[in-house]
Amino acid sequence: MDRIKIFQIIIITVVAIIIFRLFYWQFLSDVSSKTNSFLKESEIPASRGEIYATDGFPLVTNQEAFLLYGKPSELSKKPSEVAKTLAPFLISEKYATLSANLSDQDLKQKEEEISKKEQDLTTKLENQSFYWVQLARKVPLEVKDKIEKSNISGLGFEQDEKRFYPEASMAAQLLGFVGFDKFGQDTGYFGLEGYWDRKIRGKNGRLGQEQDPFGIPILVGRYRPIAPKQGSPVYSSLDRTVQYIVEEKLASAVERYGAKDGTVIVADPKTGHILAMATFPNYNPNLRLEFDENLYKNPAVADTFEPGSIFKLITMSAALDLSVVDLNTKCPCDGPRQIGGYEISTWNKKYYPDSTMTEIIQHSDNVGMTFVSEKLGVDKFYDYITKFGFGKPTKIDLQEESAGAIRPKSEWRVIDLATASFGQGIAVTPIQMVQAVSAIANGGELISPKVAVKIKDRDKEEGIKPDFERQVVSSKTASQITEMMVNAVEKGEAKAYAPKGYKIAGKTGTAQIPLAGHYDPNKTIASFIGFAPAYDPKFVMLVRFSQPSSSPYGSETAAPTFFEIAKDLFNYYQILPED
Amino acid sequence: MLPVSDFKIKKKRNFNLIGRIKVQVLLASAILVISLFFVQLVFANSLATDGEKLAQIDQEIQKLEAENTTLKVKIAQESSLVTLSQKAKDAGFQKPQAQAP
Repeated sequence: MDRIKIFQIIIITVVAIIIFRLFYWQFLSDVSSKTNSFLKESEIPASRGEIYATDGFPLVTNQEAFLLYGKPSELSKKPSEVAKTLAPFLISEKYATLSANLSDQDLKQKEEEISKKEQDLTTKLENQSFYWVQLARKVPLEVKDKIEKSNISGLGFEQDEKRFYPEASMAAQLLGFVGFDKFGQDTGYFGLEGYWDRKIRGKNGRLGQEQDPFGIPILVGRYRPIAPKQGSPVYSSLDRTVQYIVEEKLASAVERYGAKDGTVIVADPKTGHILAMATFPNYNPNLRLEFDENLYKNPAVADTFEPGSIFKLITMSAALDLSVVDLNTKCPCDGPRQIGGYEISTWNKKYYPDSTMTEIIQHSDNVGMTFVSEKLGVDKFYDYITKFGFGKPTKIDLQEESAGAIRPKSEWRVIDLATASFGQGIAVTPIQMVQAVSAIANGGELISPKVAVKIKDRDKEEGIKPDFERQVVSSKTASQITEMMVNAVEKGEAKAYAPKGYKIAGKTGTAQIPLAGHYDPNKTIASFIGFAPAYDPKFVMLVRFSQPSSSPYGSETAAPTFFEIAKDLFNYYQILPED
Repeated sequence: MLPVSDFKIKKKRNFNLIGRIKVQVLLASAILVISLFFVQLVFANSLATDGEKLAQIDQEIQKLEAENTTLKVKIAQESSLVTLSQKAKDAGFQKPQAQAP
């Protein structure tokens, strides 16, 4: 035979063999694997951005966790048996963390939860119409390892990162938490997590890659990665030490005074940055579901209350700024007044005739304040109330901020002008009060409060500058009010608790709580607001208790708490006494 | 006049030469194709193992990233004020009594 023909036959035979083997591997072979040999699209999860304190410590970070899924058709055991094995691993984490200290009731609850979980898992795994069922989300690594050791085929895990809060309940309401939206995606709720959710969450990437039957990438094949956009970390102004001091003092004070709850805000008056924001009772976001969901809300920005006597600072600032009164103006203030069919009296039924404006603040004289507000008139008073930021959100970067409630000017009656002058009949939020008094501390400049100081977007840093809003009162007025507040601390009802040697500007407040059209005679909101050192303030602070039972007065509950915290802050900031 | 056989021999010689060239070209092409075929096999094989290496490296990266995350969490937990204050308390440390007056 011709050599060429032989050669041709060899070539054709070899090519035929190769084609046949390719055909065999692609179409005939039953290769057991989790993937097929076509283009595989998979999601590359993006990590959620962390939240840092001012010292770079991660207040919120991510920990490894997994989504547990099952394939009902591939289970090696009966669904009920698999469910019985898995159920104890998938109940609340509190039973694991507190395992050594469970009471009989807790044990009973644990058994009930296991039984319920077992039923739920059995139902899912028995459903043969689904190829894939989700059994649990956010399963911690140690639980995953235990489940893997039980060697049940038909189960698998996918990456499903979980939020972790190293400081447990610290600043819980301010930070917020991460839950699921209606699509099962991680979403921030409340606080910083809620406000900055779009920046923090990032964007998942996609990987389109050809893989062989064993899941190994074919490099000559198509490879279409879309890199994930990692979530942007948020750097906050929260000072962990200040937050710790505040939370410790607040918790013990709420217990000591028998209050329903308490809130403290500490801010830098010059920049508007929040140094600490605490509420008690609070919750541990790591075990969020074990707590009452009413605790998730941040009362510091979401709760409105009638501020009472701390609002006198606003009334007096307006009056001094407009020169309708000055430091030498004297008020008759010789007894209760009848206004609009109501009697206005002082809180202790003591009257100080010919009081100066400074003495009106010192004595927290309601009658004196009605004198001042009459000098102002509704229009001017209302104008200053809105200038100080009341009636609208402060634009703090926390979700769920409330605007408070100020009745429209046109609805104000004579009695409203009188009562508003001492902080009743209007509703404000704690953060609005802090913003307003910060303006007094800051020479009359109103700055919008902020928690985040910068956000890192890939390698770009986006600094968040202080938000200067407007000049509310002149620096002269601010100085005059400061002097009044210093005098109120040194000579007022709370003078016994004030630390010696420091100039602290402050004002007590005791407001009645409205209830079904009248004021409850027994329940109050007790508060104290101030800043220190008075002439170069390092911090402004509001302490507020709701319904303290040991004493209704701010001077006996909120003021001592303020001063206790202030003492620790003086040590922390190394602020020496002036004397 | 040339003998007819001379012409035919010359034609046959020319024909043989063209034939030989054709065979050589065919042979060379075949050798080239077969060589390229085997070179492709070698590269494809190498790429297949590279694909496996890539998968291993990816797995290793994921493993290290996961370990990093776990360690970061552990460091944060151990250095948290909550943990440190509890440890200080357990070790008998107390807050100094002398503070700002």
